Amino acid sequence: MPTLETKSISKRFDSIKAVDNVSLSFEAGKITGLIGPNGSGKSTLINLLTGFVPYDAGMLVLGETTRLSRVRPYDIATYDITRTFQDVRLFEQMSVLDNVLVVLTERNVWSALFEKHKTYHLEKAKEVLERVGLWEKRNQLAVNLSYGQRKLLEIARAVAMDANIYFFDEPFAGLFPEMRKVVTSVLKELRNKGNTVILVEHNMDIIRELSDYCVVMDSGSLLAQGKPEVVLSRKDVIEAYLGE
Amino acid sequence: MDIIPQLVVNSIIAGAIYSMVALGFNLIYGTTKFFNLAHGTVAAIGGYTVFYLSKSLDFPVLPSVIVGVLFAGCIGYLVDKSVFRALRKKKASGMVFLVASLGVMTALQALVAILFSSQFQTLSVGSAKVYQVFGGVITQVQAIILLCVLLIMAGLTLLLRFTRFGKAVRATSDEEEVAKIVGINTNKIIGRVFFLGSAIAGLSGILVGFDTGIEPAMGLSLLLKGVIASIIGGIGNVYGGVLGAFLLGFIENFGIWKISGEWKDAIAFGVLLIFLLFRPQGLIKK
Ligand SMILES: Nc1ncnc2c1ncn2[C@@H]1O[C@H](COP(=O)(O)OP(=O)(O)OP(=O)(O)O)[C@@H](O)[C@H]1O
Ligand SMILES: [Mg+2]
Repeated sequence: MPTLETKSISKRFDSIKAVDNVSLSFEAGKITGLIGPNGSGKSTLINLLTGFVPYDAGMLVLGETTRLSRVRPYDIATYDITRTFQDVRLFEQMSVLDNVLVVLTERNVWSALFEKHKTYHLEKAKEVLERVGLWEKRNQLAVNLSYGQRKLLEIARAVAMDANIYFFDEPFAGLFPEMRKVVTSVLKELRNKGNTVILVEHNMDIIRELSDYCVVMDSGSLLAQGKPEVVLSRKDVIEAYLGE
Repeated sequence: MDIIPQLVVNSIIAGAIYSMVALGFNLIYGTTKFFNLAHGTVAAIGGYTVFYLSKSLDFPVLPSVIVGVLFAGCIGYLVDKSVFRALRKKKASGMVFLVASLGVMTALQALVAILFSSQFQTLSVGSAKVYQVFGGVITQVQAIILLCVLLIMAGLTLLLRFTRFGKAVRATSDEEEVAKIVGINTNKIIGRVFFLGSAIAGLSGILVGFDTGIEPAMGLSLLLKGVIASIIGGIGNVYGGVLGAFLLGFIENFGIWKISGEWKDAIAFGVLLIFLLFRPQGLIKK
C-alpha cells in the first residue's frame, strides 16, 4: 500500500530543472533506495516532500485521501513525516540529550511553559541515544561532537520523532564501519516496524543490501525504478553513473 | 566625602537597568535574529500604563505595576503577531525587519506622545526612602531594581534551561527551520518570546519611571543602552548582555568622574565603536 505519492512534482531553479515532473510512490514496510548521479535532484526531491522548498507544480498524496498542493516544514511533523539532512543539521548549542528531548516536547506550548520533561520522555530519549551509542555523550553540546557522532545524533532525533515516513539523505556518508552497522540496523528496524523509509545513498553495495525497491533519478527526471538487482544492472543506469 | 562608593552604586544601578533592557532584547534577538528597535518603546508603554493607572485612575501602585508589565508584554506579542510574523512568512530580509521595527517604534512613540504629551513625568509617590550602603546612598526604588534584575535572570535561566518551553526556544534560535520539522510551532514560540521580552522591557520602563521619570522618547535611549550592552557582551547571548550592561554602567559613571555628565552618551557610543572595531563578537561569544 503506498503511503506517500508524488504526482508530477516539479521544481526549477532558474534554468535548472532540479526535479522534473516526477511521479512516484513509496510503500510502507519497505526501504526505497533513491539513487542517481551528483546533482540529479535527490536532495531537492526530499526538500520538496518535506516542505523545505516549495514545489512549482504537482501534488503530494498522503495515504488515500490527503492531497496537498503545498507543504510547509511545520506541517510535516503532523503528517508523521521526518527527515535527516545531507549536511547534518542539529541544534548546535544544545546538549545531545536536549536535541532528542526537544523532539519529544508535546505540541501544546502553554502546558510546556512551566513543565519539565516527564520521566517517560527521559526514558525514551535514553533508549534512542543508547541505540546509536551516544548516551554517554548526553551532556555534551552537539557542536562539539565528531562528524560521525553528529550524523548518528541526527538519526536518533529522527527516530525519536516516532514518525511513519522517514527520509534519510546519505546517512552513511563519512561513517566508520561500526557506525555504519548501527545505521543499517536502525533502518532495518524502522522498516520491520512497518514504516516507510526512503534512503538516498551513493554506495551500491548498501543499496543492494538494504533497499527493497530502487528509484533512479537523472537530471531531475526518473530514469528507472524496480527491484534493485534488476535496476542496477540496466545499461542506461550504469551509463548515467559512468557519465558523471 | 569620598565619591567613589557613590560612583560604584550608581554604576551598579545603571548596569541593572541596562541589563533588564538587554535581557529582553537579547532574548528576542536570539530567537528571531533581528534588531527589534521597538523594544525600548515597549518599555515606555509600560511606564505610561502605570502612570495612567496610578495617577489618573488612582489605582494602588502594585496592581498598576502588574497591569503595566502584562500590558507591555501584550503589546510586544501583538506587534509580533501583526507585523513581524507576516514578514517571517514572506522570508523578508533583515533590513526589512529593521525598518519595520523602526516604523513600529516611531508610531508607538507618537501615540504615547499624543495621549500623554511629551512632558517629562514621574511615577514616584511621596518622598523616597534611602539606605546607606558602603558609604553610598541607594533609594528604595533602586534596591527594587537590583532585586528585580536578579530575579529575572534566575527566572530566565530556569525557564530556558529546564522547561520544555525553554528547550523549544533554544531550538528555535539555533535552527528555526529544523525546529519546525520536528514539530515545534515556531511562530507560537516566537510570540511567547516577544511577550516575555516585552514584559521585561515594560518592567524596566516602569522602574525607570519610579527612579527618575518617563517621557515618550525614553524608549530610544533605553534601547540604545540595551543594544550597546548586548553588543559589548555578545549579541544574542542572554548572560553576555548582562555582563555588557554592568560594564557599560561602570564605564559611563566612572567616565564622568571628573567631567560633565553630558559626556555619558558620548562615552557609551565611544565604547560601542571600540568594540565594533576590535571585538565585534563581544565579550562572550555565542
Ligand atoms: N537552493 C538551490 N538553488 C539553486 N539551485 C539548486 C538549489 N538546490 C539545488 N540546486 C540545484 O539543483 C540540482 C539538483 O541538486 P540536488 O542537491 O537535489 O542533487 P542531488 O541528487 O542531491 O546531488 P548529490 O548526490 O550531490 O547530493 C543541482 O543542479 C543543484 O545545483
Ligand atoms: Mg543530495
